[in-house]
Amino acid sequence: MISVSPKTILDTTTKIDLNNMSAEQKALDIKNLDLYYGDKQALQNITMSIPKGQVTAFIGPSGCGKSTLLRCINRMNDLVDHCRIEGEINLHGENIYNKHVDVAALRRKVGMVFQRPNPFPKSIYENVIYGLRIMGENNRRVLDEAVETALKSAALWNEVKDRLHDSALGLSGGQQQRLVIARAIAIQPEVLLLDEPTSALDPISTLTIEELINDLKKQFTVVIVTHNMQQAARVSDQTAFMYMGDLIEYSDTNTLFTTPMKKKTEDYITGRYG
Amino acid sequence: MNNWFKSGSPWIWLSAGGVSLSLISVLGLLWLIASRGLSYFWPSEVYQFELLDQKGKASTIIGEIYDRESIPSHQLSHLELNLDPEQETVERLLVKTGNRELVSLDFRWILVPEITKQSTPEKLVVVERRTNGNFYGYIESVILDGKSVSFEQLSSLLERVLEIQEEIEELQKVDIGAINYQIERLRLRERKYRLKDTFTAEKEHQISTEVATLESEYQTLEKKLLALRDKTSRDEIKMRAMGGEIVTISFADVLKVTTNNQMSFIEKLFMFFSQIASFISDDPREANTEGGVFPAIFGTVLMVLLMTVIVSPMGVIAAIYLHEYAGNNALTKLLRIAVINLAGVPSIVYGVFGLGFFVYMVGGSLDQIFYPETLPSPTFGTPGVMWSAITLAILTLPVVIVSTEEGLSRIPSAMRHGSLALGATKVETLWRIILPIASPAIMTGIILAIARAAGEVAPLMLVGVVKMAPNLPLDGNFPFLHLDRKFMHLGFHIYDVGFQSPNVEAARPLVYATALLLVTIIISLNMTAVSIRNKLREKYRMLEH
Repeated sequence: MISVSPKTILDTTTKIDLNNMSAEQKALDIKNLDLYYGDKQALQNITMSIPKGQVTAFIGPSGCGKSTLLRCINRMNDLVDHCRIEGEINLHGENIYNKHVDVAALRRKVGMVFQRPNPFPKSIYENVIYGLRIMGENNRRVLDEAVETALKSAALWNEVKDRLHDSALGLSGGQQQRLVIARAIAIQPEVLLLDEPTSALDPISTLTIEELINDLKKQFTVVIVTHNMQQAARVSDQTAFMYMGDLIEYSDTNTLFTTPMKKKTEDYITGRYG
Repeated sequence: MNNWFKSGSPWIWLSAGGVSLSLISVLGLLWLIASRGLSYFWPSEVYQFELLDQKGKASTIIGEIYDRESIPSHQLSHLELNLDPEQETVERLLVKTGNRELVSLDFRWILVPEITKQSTPEKLVVVERRTNGNFYGYIESVILDGKSVSFEQLSSLLERVLEIQEEIEELQKVDIGAINYQIERLRLRERKYRLKDTFTAEKEHQISTEVATLESEYQTLEKKLLALRDKTSRDEIKMRAMGGEIVTISFADVLKVTTNNQMSFIEKLFMFFSQIASFISDDPREANTEGGVFPAIFGTVLMVLLMTVIVSPMGVIAAIYLHEYAGNNALTKLLRIAVINLAGVPSIVYGVFGLGFFVYMVGGSLDQIFYPETLPSPTFGTPGVMWSAITLAILTLPVVIVSTEEGLSRIPSAMRHGSLALGATKVETLWRIILPIASPAIMTGIILAIARAAGEVAPLMLVGVVKMAPNLPLDGNFPFLHLDRKFMHLGFHIYDVGFQSPNVEAARPLVYATALLLVTIIISLNMTAVSIRNKLREKYRMLEH
């Protein structure tokens, strides 16, 4: 049985020292992560800790491995052939790559939203409660409440509350992406991974979703991959800059965008290459 | 001219021409079958011909005209007809004279030049009978209980007789049939106990009492049956045939008495539809040359449904394995090659395989294990509807596998990823998301399987179809669906009626009618499946951005 009471609002006001976080402040701990596609190494020795209740952004030029790193966090790379991972990613102190880890349970704790909206060809209602049905929840009242909460949190409730049983495919692109976000948060994950969530949307929808992210971090830890630096600057609390599989720089957003420490970072954010 | 070639128009004309030719052939075939088949049901005029042949002998022929032919006159030179030398061809008519007890062949060719008078007398009567085919003639008298009555009572008397005959048939088939079935089961049970050496005195007593009850029930039913038969035994019609002979037809033998020449168009239309209805719902008579084809329809549809129930899960699961779970290794390649080759095996080979493996090996073992008391008479170790369904399921398996795989591969992986990212396992994703979206493609596979299986006759001849089945595979006796029984099949029926029947001329229109029926049934099965698929397509249509 799942309770649908909102999570306690996490304290996000104090600035976090990224190199010295306590265990309660950490959501995820990535240690010496290497990833190989066959013989080719895609990620080199990534070590970073992602704080709870904040928005962390991964930026970098195309092919730098930011989406790959994101997909490691909920083990979606397991679906890729010939993908080999060394190192650890710790959630609550336990390595998610341990042999006995239940991957489905992991993915319920770490939700993901993809670049192109992918609602199922079902009704809006059925889309949102899909995760709950998988978990065995069949009580009509509980499901109704969960749908309302999730759609309200995704800022979609007012637009669809009268047509919950219409097909989800009738929604516009921006609405579909918000529906997919609602679907992901309906099962109350701890971490929400967003893989370039607005790159397929128009500017108005992009703005709506960026505002949404700001609200979401009150309930979840958000990790967002984006190729849009301005978006990263607007939305995130911490930013990690990656280049060719290496983590070049990782610090709070303000510092990274105003006074970057590495030259590569500076070259990237000033647009010398993209 | 060169420009025309270059523009690609010739190819368009060629392909359009090919398609048109195919369509015209199909429609032409359907028209041929329909016209010849449906004309069998239309009540035709009955003619009376007065003939005068070469030697001056006069004769009378009564019957329906079945066919008309023009033959070159030199083929008939041996008959020394007095013909105008200018006349190239002679026309002749094929007349169905019926009256099989009087003449050896109930069809006759008569030459048009020999006809002196052709008329359609109003009082000419066609009697459709249970045995010996149709009778054409005039009614002399109607006898009820030994006394002569007026003709007007004929139709009401006939109705009464037909009702009683229905009761008799139901008594025989359903009630007495059930008792026979029960007695047989008790006999088998006794045999089973004997084989296992557990036949105690009390079991013997129990079985013999049950048998005694059944036998006394049978006695009462038999008395009822005889009483019913007795009711109609003394009612007869006396008919005068074309040669003047008087023939007595018992009422019990009569199905229908019609005066075709007196019928109005509406009456003929009505009779046309009632003939079609009885064709579909009656059992066959006279070695399949008359009567209806209901058991064949039932057998065909039942077998196709059984086959669908078997092949759908097998094919879908195999396709899911090949597409979702199988690795990229040599074994998978071998499997795919095997599936593709299955589609190329001639169907009679499937029949032989089905006979050898399923009927003799598997069926024989089943008999040894589960039905030892019926041996040496086999239950499953003999052709039957179950083995036919399984054999055809294997025959159509590659079609279902290929269609399903194609449907699965068209599903964007974004759907899969979306479901997995929400914490669903692979199986849950398959069941809740993938299979519903692939269901139109699966339906396509099933449609193609049904289309192929409904037309296959060759393998069925080896694994389960018979010319005449004593009962249907589905009846009121437990376990209701008898998968070990043999069945009748429309395709085989066409072959049997057309080429194996003792009276080819009588049977020929039936061949066309049955062929039309088979085509109609297959088209309706297909249309049903297509409409289901269209509904599924609408439901799971994914809009492209």
